[in-house]
Amino acid sequence: MKQTIFDLSRPGVSGAGLQDPDFGELDPSRWFDAELLRTELIGLPEVSEIELVRHYTALGHRAYGVDDGSYPLGSCTMKYNPKRHEPLANLSGFAHAHPRQPASTLPGLWELLFHLAEYFAELSGMDHFTLQPAAGAHGELTGLMIIRAWFESRGMKRDVVLVQDSAHGTNPASASMAGYRCKMIRTTPEGLTDLGTLEAALDDSVAAVMLTNPSTLGLFEKNIRKIAERVHENGSLLICDGANMNSLMGIVRPGDMGFDVLQLNTHKTFSTPHLSGGPGSGPCGVKAFLEPFLPIPVIRRDARGYFPDEDRPQSIGRMKSFYGHVRVLIRAYCYILTSGSRGLRTVSENAVLNANYVQARLSPYLPPVFGGTCMHECLLSTAKLPVSAFDFAKRLIDYGVHPPTLVGAGCVYFPGHLRDAMLIEPTETETRESLDRMIEKFLRVAQEATEDPELIRTAPHTREVGKILPSGSHRSQRAHEQKRPALEPPGADVP
Amino acid sequence: MERHPEPLVCGYNVHREADRKAMLEALGLTSIADLFSPIPQEVRLDRELRLPAPHNEWALGKHLRELAGRNASTRSHLSFLGGGIYEHHIPAVVDSLTSSEALLTAYTPYQPELSQGLLQILFEYQRMLSLLSGLRVVNSSLYDGATAMAEAAWMACSATGRRRVLASSRIWPEWKSVLELYMRGRGGEVVYVAADPISGRLDPRSLQASFARPAATFILQTPNSLGILEDIPAAAALCRQHEALLQVSCYPMTLALLKPPGELGADIVTCEGQPLGLPLSAGGPYLGVLACEKRLREFMPGRLVGEVRDIHGKPALALVLERREQQVSREKATSNMCTNQAHQAMRAAIYLAALGERGFREIATQCAGKARYLHEKLLAIPGVEPAATGPFFNEFALRLPCSVPVFLERMLERRVFAGFEVEEHLLVAVTEVKTRAELDEAAALFAETIGALGR
Repeated sequence: MKQTIFDLSRPGVSGAGLQDPDFGELDPSRWFDAELLRTELIGLPEVSEIELVRHYTALGHRAYGVDDGSYPLGSCTMKYNPKRHEPLANLSGFAHAHPRQPASTLPGLWELLFHLAEYFAELSGMDHFTLQPAAGAHGELTGLMIIRAWFESRGMKRDVVLVQDSAHGTNPASASMAGYRCKMIRTTPEGLTDLGTLEAALDDSVAAVMLTNPSTLGLFEKNIRKIAERVHENGSLLICDGANMNSLMGIVRPGDMGFDVLQLNTHKTFSTPHLSGGPGSGPCGVKAFLEPFLPIPVIRRDARGYFPDEDRPQSIGRMKSFYGHVRVLIRAYCYILTSGSRGLRTVSENAVLNANYVQARLSPYLPPVFGGTCMHECLLSTAKLPVSAFDFAKRLIDYGVHPPTLVGAGCVYFPGHLRDAMLIEPTETETRESLDRMIEKFLRVAQEATEDPELIRTAPHTREVGKILPSGSHRSQRAHEQKRPALEPPGADVP
Repeated sequence: MERHPEPLVCGYNVHREADRKAMLEALGLTSIADLFSPIPQEVRLDRELRLPAPHNEWALGKHLRELAGRNASTRSHLSFLGGGIYEHHIPAVVDSLTSSEALLTAYTPYQPELSQGLLQILFEYQRMLSLLSGLRVVNSSLYDGATAMAEAAWMACSATGRRRVLASSRIWPEWKSVLELYMRGRGGEVVYVAADPISGRLDPRSLQASFARPAATFILQTPNSLGILEDIPAAAALCRQHEALLQVSCYPMTLALLKPPGELGADIVTCEGQPLGLPLSAGGPYLGVLACEKRLREFMPGRLVGEVRDIHGKPALALVLERREQQVSREKATSNMCTNQAHQAMRAAIYLAALGERGFREIATQCAGKARYLHEKLLAIPGVEPAATGPFFNEFALRLPCSVPVFLERMLERRVFAGFEVEEHLLVAVTEVKTRAELDEAAALFAETIGALGR
């Protein structure tokens, strides 16, 4: 670690001149009992503005974003984010509005959110949306809570959710947070949901089946209508993890496939920057029969105009305070308005085209796990190489490519035989030339792997720190413990 | 000239028709439709999406400015709104530094070799919030104050093996709703503990009585929904006696002046982090701060940055304790946290660093001092009384001699957000951004309006 801001502190200096001359020096001990007051300094750093700027600018240079280069992160859709959205999300009438302002003073906001929810409904084939959820996983949780409330309203208690074994790790976690037991449905050798296993698992304890379509393996569930039929025959609901919507826009809608609920990851599909990990937002859409259960408030329109409706007796309650991640939602609204119907369809076409192009070009060295046409991401195997997918990925860093998604190093955790695969999602915003450059780098690493595997195993070599093994990877830990005794990270203690 | 696959209004569909053709050829395909062959015809959409016609950048800007322009804001109105969310000055340097492209467009730092810079900012954030809260472990980070409170309640349940959660009846109503929903999901029970009607603070006898059945935790919000600062040591003593964890949810500005809850016996501290350099944003995105004792770390949801070593033994930073995370341990995960609030945490870190020790204390002092200035002036208005006798920080509840909703409406006509209604009282928040002239003007308007309505 480089010098911290604490190391730079020179007590007595402040980056911001803040005193209000009209009030001068104020003395808190006049207002608060002595036993309430801090007796010692907090210990916050004190630096001048220039020191502050140089410190954080330097740290900014030691990070890597989509604007810096290729980011083929499967299942996470790290695509370019249009700059035009930023000043619009920061307009004073949005950025400086207080959430407790009287609703009548925010007509522009309600109008925007109302229409955004309508666009989401049109895109996804759902009937109604809540924009409140704070992230994709939060949207999953919202959907599961709504399903639970629907069953309860019918006097039924069902406590199992079925999830694909290839699902995003958030799916089982969301299910358990919503109070469900989670059962895994294994995938067939073709990577699709095993209809037989699914049918065997369907009984009257199953509230919902949660599928990602296209799946986290980059494949479209072609039996989706049949699956939906079986699930509905069982009295269960079908919920879609809509994280991969950027491959479907204008082509097929989850609502038309038979899904009752889905969430959209607006930061993925609708282009909010990932912001070093968030904030995102995860609006949740439902079919009409589930509408009464949406969290409050829901934005509605009547003769007087648009307004947030809090008076919803069957609502599950609130998933978070207030209306959702407004400034993230504004970017999604902007993206849809800029693109229009044909633009969004082109986005999906290009996403799928790019993924298949990368898959085809890399397949002689990194064969696809499932073969055939993939959707917006491809799953490639490193089994033919003498190095692991993890090692391969780390070497890509030396070539300025962010590693693809691997087990435990992204939002996925694949079962057994998929552990040595890389999930690559080039995204629709990469040009053919950029894809060719990226492919060239993958091929170079593949060649190095056969010629000098040690070079790959010890990569990256060009960064300020060398390879760091994941704290959850027991296999890597064992391999490394021989060289260095204490690998267990000390945790996040105050240094 | 060749046709572009879409109208030329947006610069981020990158292929020319010739590129698409060449790429399809490389795939041995003849048309884009071939790419979608895995999708059965029966589910395909057979029409265009019904969406507005594409807007070019100018038209989009014009439309958004028009929508934003119809909203009132704290820039167009004089605002005394609070209730967990506060209008503070954000030094320009915070926006400037956090708009660094690498920080804006980076992903979660799963590849630490590429992300030492952003890991360090989060690490510094954790240390700053640890100093403020008085607890050792701080994560980075949850969605907002309400979800942080709810997740922390579940943390306490996991750590104690109990499913019953006690909470002060004076927490923000929206937060209650979130807490109840989160707890209901996992089969937990929320029981509210009454406040003392005179002081407005928690009634320790009610808390004692609520412990008749074992509880995982007691949740105290300070200042509470009447703006009253709670007695943390008293609650801590009762919690210890009944082997429950004390969770304190607080307004981070109070931590500049007052003893940290961790030092006073809180096991878990949560905050709505919005006041630390985040714009009001009509409700979000905000920042959930979550701090805990070291022994509770295993139960904590969200991301932790810690010191590790690379394979050469060199110190480095990385996300740690990921075994409890959704991508590693699946159904054993303690939460579904994936995309979180990293950028908001960075803003908070840079905000605190920009203010520094003295600056942060100065802001908090002005919040409390200016609130007292207005409080005194408002109490001089005939018929206006404090709603409770307990100590306050920068937000206070008043009993008015007239209807609160009608009063608020009249004040709105004068372009003032005079506060909002809590339990039929008016809750007024003051922060450092108010000038003496504005406070004087507000006091005069309050007096005039109340005078007119009270008669």
